[in-house]
Amino acid sequence: MEEIIRVEGLWHVYPGGVEALRGVDLTIKQGEFIAIIGQNGSGKTTLVKHFNGLLKPTRGKVYVYGIDTTKASTYELSRKVGYVFQNPDHQIYSDSVYDEVAFGPRNLGFPEDEIKEIVKHVLEELELSEYVETPPFMLGKGLRQRLAVASILAMKPEVLVVDEPTTGQDWKECVKLVEFMDRLNKEGHTIIMVTHNMKLVSMFAKRVIVMKDGRILLDGPTEEVMYNIETLREAYIKPPDVVLIDYRLRNLLDGKPSLRVEDLAEKIYQACKR
Amino acid sequence: MEPAIEIRNVTFKYRRAEKPSLININLTVYRGEFIGIIGPTGAGKTTLCLTMVGIVPNILKGDFTGEVVTAGMKTTEHEVSEISQKVGMTMQDPESQLLMPDVEREIAFGPENLGLPRDEIRRRIDYALKVVGLEEFRSRHPFLMSGGQKQKVAVASSLAMLPEIMILDEPTSELDPIGTEEVFKTVRKLKAEGKTIVMVEHKTELLSVFSDRIIVMNEGRIIESGPTRKILSDVELLKKIGVDPPQATQIAYLLKKRGINLDKFPLTVDEAVEIFSEIVKGE
Repeated sequence: MEEIIRVEGLWHVYPGGVEALRGVDLTIKQGEFIAIIGQNGSGKTTLVKHFNGLLKPTRGKVYVYGIDTTKASTYELSRKVGYVFQNPDHQIYSDSVYDEVAFGPRNLGFPEDEIKEIVKHVLEELELSEYVETPPFMLGKGLRQRLAVASILAMKPEVLVVDEPTTGQDWKECVKLVEFMDRLNKEGHTIIMVTHNMKLVSMFAKRVIVMKDGRILLDGPTEEVMYNIETLREAYIKPPDVVLIDYRLRNLLDGKPSLRVEDLAEKIYQACKR
Repeated sequence: MEPAIEIRNVTFKYRRAEKPSLININLTVYRGEFIGIIGPTGAGKTTLCLTMVGIVPNILKGDFTGEVVTAGMKTTEHEVSEISQKVGMTMQDPESQLLMPDVEREIAFGPENLGLPRDEIRRRIDYALKVVGLEEFRSRHPFLMSGGQKQKVAVASSLAMLPEIMILDEPTSELDPIGTEEVFKTVRKLKAEGKTIVMVEHKTELLSVFSDRIIVMNEGRIIESGPTRKILSDVELLKKIGVDPPQATQIAYLLKKRGINLDKFPLTVDEAVEIFSEIVKGE
């Protein structure tokens, strides 16, 4: 698969001296579904903000589709990499849901009738159609979060970075949103999700990157990372209960480690039938 | 048992809203209890919390009927500022509540407004920072902190008021898993000191360990309430309203549906390991 993002020896120091990233190396390939996890303040958001040029390296290099991000504008990069902010209010400006979603494609110079189609489609996908005329500030936080995702998707980025999609959403809404990202992934989009929700990570991500103190502590397939319980603890991460239960019952059960409740129920069922 | 919060026949509709956010709510929270409130977005959980401190209907106005008595004060007859001396509330969105240029001054804000002496304020800041584990961040600007750290600052500010009752509206929504557990452990400590806790929370795995009683809300109503075990074992009810039951319970539910005999549903990891190893070994 094509390599789309390459990070080499990346350091980021904020004004005032906080070292948010301290030497990160990483490559991301087309079509991956990656979760970036780690303690509050471990550098997750700082890292992903480099992927569309919102932040530039203090030291080291970030290449997006082969382009050095210090040599490209954020405008240019955000056509490739869509970034949904952690706090939706940092990106919502328009007076209606329609205009908010149309804003990106308009800026990119899409024709108005195509924009209409895109907005309609995106709002349907995210179940926001009924709010098309609503002022965004009238929406609850969960809906604003979904609107933020919709307005980024309208630009049809190849890579979608979503920074904590679960804040303010209930479980059903979280699952819907991540299922939507999963469908995009199956259509070939690359998905990068920053989150603290380990249940969602286990259910959907294919690869997990664990950050600690501005560095990468673990990077591997979801199953491998989630069952590295001791190392995760160092990063303030606790795997979901399904992993903890499976791990402690491992001597009694056959089959590969489970990441979903259905898988573990099946393994226990099989063991009971033996 | 002595009531800490009494809500009688409360119905409330925000000004300009089409539908009421709370419909005929009756609830008594007893002193020293830890109550969890669960339910989907828009169920009325936050409005219920705002009602407990009198923000609804004294500041956020609308059509209000019924009566709320919190820490002995009828909320419509007392100023919110007066009620807040006994009741600490942490809001869902910490940013909306942080005002000061550094953490220490943020936490001092409430106690200073009470006109407390300097060394008392200092003691309270130290206490609050220690409880939430932010001692190293006392001079950090809240804007330079992560979402989760801000959430801890909001909890600390509330703690510095030494309230009798703490109302926490999704206090862990932006925290990492261990940070989340720490908040729950902190809250348990506060409960052990005799404080009353009301917490809106989606994380049923944690409520299963910590809360005494759970209230289930949907579309402005309390649709179910009872001891934590009884409510969280009701997988079908929770799934129906979009709340994710504890994973241990879900596994048991799936096994039972396939004909495996289970007398008791586990809620926690420890219980699950015990129950499932018994059935696998055929004991």
